[in-house]
Amino acid sequence: MNQETPQKKRPLSQNGRIFYLVPLAAALIPFFANDYLQFIVNMIMVYVLVTVGFNLVIGNLGQLAFANTAFFGIGAYMTAILMTYAGFTYELALVGAAISGGLAGLLASVTALRGIRLYYLAIITLAFGELMRWVYIHAEPVTMGTDGLPLPDVTVFGMSMHSETAKFYVFLLITVLVVKGTSNLLKSRVGRAILAIRDNELTTASLGISTANYIILTFVWSGSVVGIAGAMFAASTERVFPESFGLTEVIVHFAMVMVGGAGSLIGSVIGGVVLTALPEYFRQFPGMEELFFGAIIIAVLLFLPKGLVSLLAKVSPLFRERYFRE
Amino acid sequence: MKTTSKWKLPLGVLAAMGIMAGTAVADDTTGLTDTTIKVGVMGPFSGNASSYSKAQIGEMAYYKMINDQGGVHGRKFELIEEDTACQPAKGIAAAKKLVSQDKVFMMHGNSCSGVAMAVKDIVVESGTPWIVAHAVNPNISMPPTPNVFHGVPAGPAYGYTMGKFVMSKPGTKNVVMVEHSNDWAKSYADPTRDYMKTKGVEPTMVLAMERGQTDATAQVLKIRQAKPDFIVASLYEAETVIFLKDLKKYGITDIPVMGAAGTDLENTLARIGDIDTVKNYYVPHAFIDTVDGPGMKKWNDMILKYYPGETITGFSYVSIGSAVAAVQALKNAGPDLTREKFIAELDKIKDFDTGIFATNITWSADDRHGVKESAVAGFVDGKPTVMKSWNQPM
Repeated sequence: MNQETPQKKRPLSQNGRIFYLVPLAAALIPFFANDYLQFIVNMIMVYVLVTVGFNLVIGNLGQLAFANTAFFGIGAYMTAILMTYAGFTYELALVGAAISGGLAGLLASVTALRGIRLYYLAIITLAFGELMRWVYIHAEPVTMGTDGLPLPDVTVFGMSMHSETAKFYVFLLITVLVVKGTSNLLKSRVGRAILAIRDNELTTASLGISTANYIILTFVWSGSVVGIAGAMFAASTERVFPESFGLTEVIVHFAMVMVGGAGSLIGSVIGGVVLTALPEYFRQFPGMEELFFGAIIIAVLLFLPKGLVSLLAKVSPLFRERYFRE
Repeated sequence: MKTTSKWKLPLGVLAAMGIMAGTAVADDTTGLTDTTIKVGVMGPFSGNASSYSKAQIGEMAYYKMINDQGGVHGRKFELIEEDTACQPAKGIAAAKKLVSQDKVFMMHGNSCSGVAMAVKDIVVESGTPWIVAHAVNPNISMPPTPNVFHGVPAGPAYGYTMGKFVMSKPGTKNVVMVEHSNDWAKSYADPTRDYMKTKGVEPTMVLAMERGQTDATAQVLKIRQAKPDFIVASLYEAETVIFLKDLKKYGITDIPVMGAAGTDLENTLARIGDIDTVKNYYVPHAFIDTVDGPGMKKWNDMILKYYPGETITGFSYVSIGSAVAAVQALKNAGPDLTREKFIAELDKIKDFDTGIFATNITWSADDRHGVKESAVAGFVDGKPTVMKSWNQPM
């Protein structure tokens, strides 16, 4: 008798447990946070996704592309435009933001596919971000220019998102899904191909791997993730401004990647959390925030060049990622 | 319909709750104690635009002086500074902190229009009285909302002043505009253009010069070709300095340049260090005198008393006028202060001489732009001079 052994469900790894425990613990935040703290927590989730998306291109794919603020702004503006002019619900606008961010990623990948690399790619993609900012300012009939484009009342499945608490639970769900999706991508064959391209593009191509396809895929995924973050940012601020997507923003995003740990998904989460929360903590020292902020970045990069995640990886195996290059 | 007895109790409770809720709304004493008034002071204490935080320093010096004089009806001001870094998202966090964590009675300050527009809905919804004391976008207080007041000339007032001054120079037909691509510059440039248009003059050329740009050669060379009668430069101070230096480098020192209120005459001279470069530079100047003039001495002394290391520039005075008006409204509201009484008293401020603004403040429920015009400052015989129009000192 051919008796098949029932396949055992693979138990959750420690990493997996942490992955689910952190958001479960975070779900309790609204019970003790006021409106201000809740807003900060919501912004932390926005920036976690911004960093996750950016890190894919910078850290995992190894391309010096700085189109992140373009993706971020496009996601935010697309959400506001679809809701304001096309009457989309927030859920649909969020999908629109992900698609438009992905398309912007596709556009940004064209430069990389044409063999433009390093500083040239950096400058071109930075220019893309600045060009988009110019569009937000000057497409005044649509974007309302520098006055900012207000969002209509945001509801999700009929539930008002006006309160920070409502936003929090929706953002938490989105963040968990996107981080998990990105984690799965990185752990898959695709993820390994992406890392192989970073390590040696020519060798990867010689192995018969279509590097162009994976480069496009990474940019599109990155653009979609950051576009979703843009949609969350728009819902959080309830009005989108060109000023929110300038050059300073790129520096902050880059710092989040580097401080968290380039090429590390956990690092992205840490970078997003730390560099959103710390400036708020330093708010109590008016005029000194930049000093503290700069000092922390320098200290981390000087003593932990692989980011805060490398420190945590030394302390606990929980923070070691399979795709994290030692 | 007869109310049955089983409904009497619940209805009575609901009515009582309604009355209590009504009372809470009608007598909002958030941020007040018998001895203190909490005031939230938002400003760019860090970042590219941190030189604007001088406006908040001046205002806080005034409140501290009032504290030393015993406060208002026995209450002293407790000032809570919050940094916006001139970034909308950071401004929203600051406003939420002031409203929901610090629970301030009122807010006073804010130097960046983008930030002010971003926080407007939060502040309006909270009912916190807010006096905007530096940001110039007119839409911050227009259309009027119950609790937002503009205590500084808004964009149209400054733009009107800039346009009027430019057109007051006889024979002005050819005007070139140089400006940043941001909300702040548009707040000045658009109303200037509108005023010039009423006089039949359209700008010959509009040139962009972005924030952080360290060279203005391209703009200057185009200007040299255009040979304008006047240049309108809606630029932040750092870029203004670069622009004026490059004008001098290419020998263009005889064309007058009208700057925006984001620059200050004396500070611009100090940064350039050469009177020849700034001799034809003019800026909107909302105050009765120049920084070193006798009219400003008492304000200078006040600022230096509370902030001894402070370097005083035109920005230092921007928010003081509205602080003077706010204190007057608080006095008029009497000892049983509520937010509603304070707002009502602010709306009663009419043609109020602050002792520092060149023009008086008038607020009403349907017009919250308190200051409608400004003077202009420029160098006459190498000395900073406040002017009404071209070659017309005040």
